[in-house]
Amino acid sequence: MRSRTGLVILAVSILTVAVACDRNSGDRSSSPTPTQTSGHPAEHGKVAAATSPKGLAAQLEQYYAQHTLLAVRQMRSVLTATPTYRQAADAELEEYTEELAQVVGGAFGEDQGERFEQIWQGSIIHFSGYAEAVAASDPAAKRQARSGLLADADAYGEWFAEVSDGRTRASEAAEVMRTHVEQLMEQADAYAARDYDQAYKTEREAYEHMFAAGSALAKAGLEPKEAAALDSPAGQLRAAFAMLLGEHMQLIIDTQRATFDGAPQFEAAAAQVNANTEALTKGMGAIVGPRKAEEFQSAWAEHVEGLLEYSTAVAGNDQAEKTAAREEMRGYGARLALYLSDVVRNELPLEPLTAALGEHDQHLVDQIDAYAAKRYDEAQEMELEGYEQMLGVADTILGALQKTVKPQLPVGGSQTGGGGTARRSR
Amino acid sequence: MSPGRARLGAVAVALALLAGCAQAGANRAEPPPAAATTRPPPAAGGVDAARDFRSTRGYKATPVPVRLEIARIGVSAGMQRLGRAADGTVEVPEGPHKWDTAGWYAGGTRPGDPGSAVILGHVDSKRGPAVFFRLHELRKGDEIEVGRADGSAIRFTVERVAQYDKQRFPTDEVYYPTLTPALRLVTCGGEFDATVGHYRSNVIVFATLKP
Repeated sequence: MRSRTGLVILAVSILTVAVACDRNSGDRSSSPTPTQTSGHPAEHGKVAAATSPKGLAAQLEQYYAQHTLLAVRQMRSVLTATPTYRQAADAELEEYTEELAQVVGGAFGEDQGERFEQIWQGSIIHFSGYAEAVAASDPAAKRQARSGLLADADAYGEWFAEVSDGRTRASEAAEVMRTHVEQLMEQADAYAARDYDQAYKTEREAYEHMFAAGSALAKAGLEPKEAAALDSPAGQLRAAFAMLLGEHMQLIIDTQRATFDGAPQFEAAAAQVNANTEALTKGMGAIVGPRKAEEFQSAWAEHVEGLLEYSTAVAGNDQAEKTAAREEMRGYGARLALYLSDVVRNELPLEPLTAALGEHDQHLVDQIDAYAAKRYDEAQEMELEGYEQMLGVADTILGALQKTVKPQLPVGGSQTGGGGTARRSR
Repeated sequence: MSPGRARLGAVAVALALLAGCAQAGANRAEPPPAAATTRPPPAAGGVDAARDFRSTRGYKATPVPVRLEIARIGVSAGMQRLGRAADGTVEVPEGPHKWDTAGWYAGGTRPGDPGSAVILGHVDSKRGPAVFFRLHELRKGDEIEVGRADGSAIRFTVERVAQYDKQRFPTDEVYYPTLTPALRLVTCGGEFDATVGHYRSNVIVFATLKP
C-alpha cells in the first residue's frame, strides 16, 4: 500500500514540532516554509508500488484526477498565452506522467507501464495541440488534434482490455477515455469563448470522471472477488470522500488563481467551490445526520472563506489584510478540527488533527504566494504536495468516521412477519 | 509528487525544524530568502468579486418521508419513524395500524439524500397479508415513490430483489452510509419458524434514485 497515511502521520508530527517552535518564535506565516527556503521544488522521485488493492486504487485515483487538472491548467496556460506558467505546467505534466507510468508499471508490469506511458504522452501532445489550435482559431488544427485524441482513447481501450485479461471490453474502456478527452476539449473551448461557468463546471466533472476511471483501472487487474471488495459500501465511502476533499483542495487553488484573472473567472471558479461544499455537506450528513451536517457546513464555510480572504489579500497586495486573514484562518482551522474530533468521538486526537488542517491551509497559502510572485514551479509543487496531503487527511478522517459508524448500525435482520400466513397463502 | 520525494523532503523538514527549534530566536532576525521578497503584482482583476464571496451556508435538511407508493404491488401506505431497539436490532412498525404502515429507519438516511434510506414493513399478521405481502414480486425497473413531509415526492427504480437468511443479513449493503442516494425495502420471507413465531429470512429490495 502506498505510504500516504505514513506521510500524513509524519507531516502531523512535523507540524506539531513546528507549532511548538512557533510558540517561541512568533508568527509561522511570516516565516518561509522549507520549500520557499530552497526556492526550488524538490526533484521528482521513484513512486513506491502499492501493496494492496485499496492502496493501488488510492494511487490511481489520485494520479488520474491530478493529471486531469494538470492538463487543464496546461491548456489554459496556452489559451492565456502565459509562457512562464506554461513552462512550469509542461514540466509538471511530463514528470507526473512518468510517475503515473511507474504506478501503472508497478501494478501491471514494466512493459505495460511503458505502453501506457506512450499512449499518455501522445495524449498530452494532442491536448497541447488542441489548446494551441483553439488559441490560434485554427479549425483544421483543432480537427487534427481531436482526431489524435480520439485515437489515443481507442489505444487506451485496447491497452486496458489487455491488462484486464479481457474482463473489460476495449470499447468500454475507450469510451471512458473518450469522455475524458471530450471534457478537456470542451473546457478549453468554453474557456476560450469566455464561458467560464461552463469551463470550470466541465473541469470539475472531468476531475470526478477521472477519479472514478483511476479506481476502474485498479479493479481491472484484480480477480472479481477482490474488485468487489473495493466496491463494498465502506470502499465506496472512502473513494467518494477522498474525491470530494481532494476536489475541495483543487477548486480552492483554481479560485485563488482566478482572483488574478478577473471577476467572471473568479465567480465561475467560486461557484464550483460552493458546489463542492454542498456535496461534502450532504456526504457528512449521510454519516453524522442533518443537525451535525449543518454544523459542518458552517465550520467548513469559515474555512473556505478564510482561504479566499487570504488570496484576495495577496491579489490585492495588502500585507495587513494578509496577516489578518492568516490569523482568522487559524481560528477557523481550530474550530473545524474541534468539530471533526467531536463527530469521530475522539478517535482522532484534536492536536494532530488541528495540525493536519493547518498544513492544508499552509499548502494553499504557499501556493498562492508563489503564484502571485510568478514562481510557477513552486506553485505547481505546492499544488501536488497539498493534494496528496489532503487525500491523506481525508483517509485519516474517514477511517476515524468509519470506526464510529459500524457500532451504530442495526444488528441482524428485521422481525417483520406477524404470523406465517404469507407463507401458507402462497 | 512521489511518496519517496515527499518522505525525503518531510524527513529533512523534520530535522530542520527540530534543529531550528533551539535557535528559533536567531533565525527570526534573518532576512527572508530572495524568492520571498518578489513583489506580487498590483491588485488583480478579480479582487472585488473575491471580496464579495460568501461560502454556501443554510444547509436545509431533506424532508422526512411520510408515504410510500408502489403501484406495481398495490402499496399505498403511511410511514412511521423507527429507531434501534435496546438489543440493537432495528425497530419495526408498531401500534394499531402496524400491519398497514411502513416504517422508515430514522437513524439512517432520508430518502433522496446520499446513502441508503431503509423502509421496513410487515409481510403478514396472524390474520392475513400485511403492507409488504407482495414485496417479493417487484422486479428490476419497477418504480417506488416516497412522499415527503413538504408535499414533494421522490422516485426510485428497483435494481434487484434478494432473500437473505437473517443470520447472514447484509447489514453493510442495507445500512452502511455511502454517497449514492438509494433505497432499501425490507420485510420477512422464507420459512416461518412457528417455534419462535418469526420468519427465518428477510426479503430486501435494492433500488436507486431515479434520475
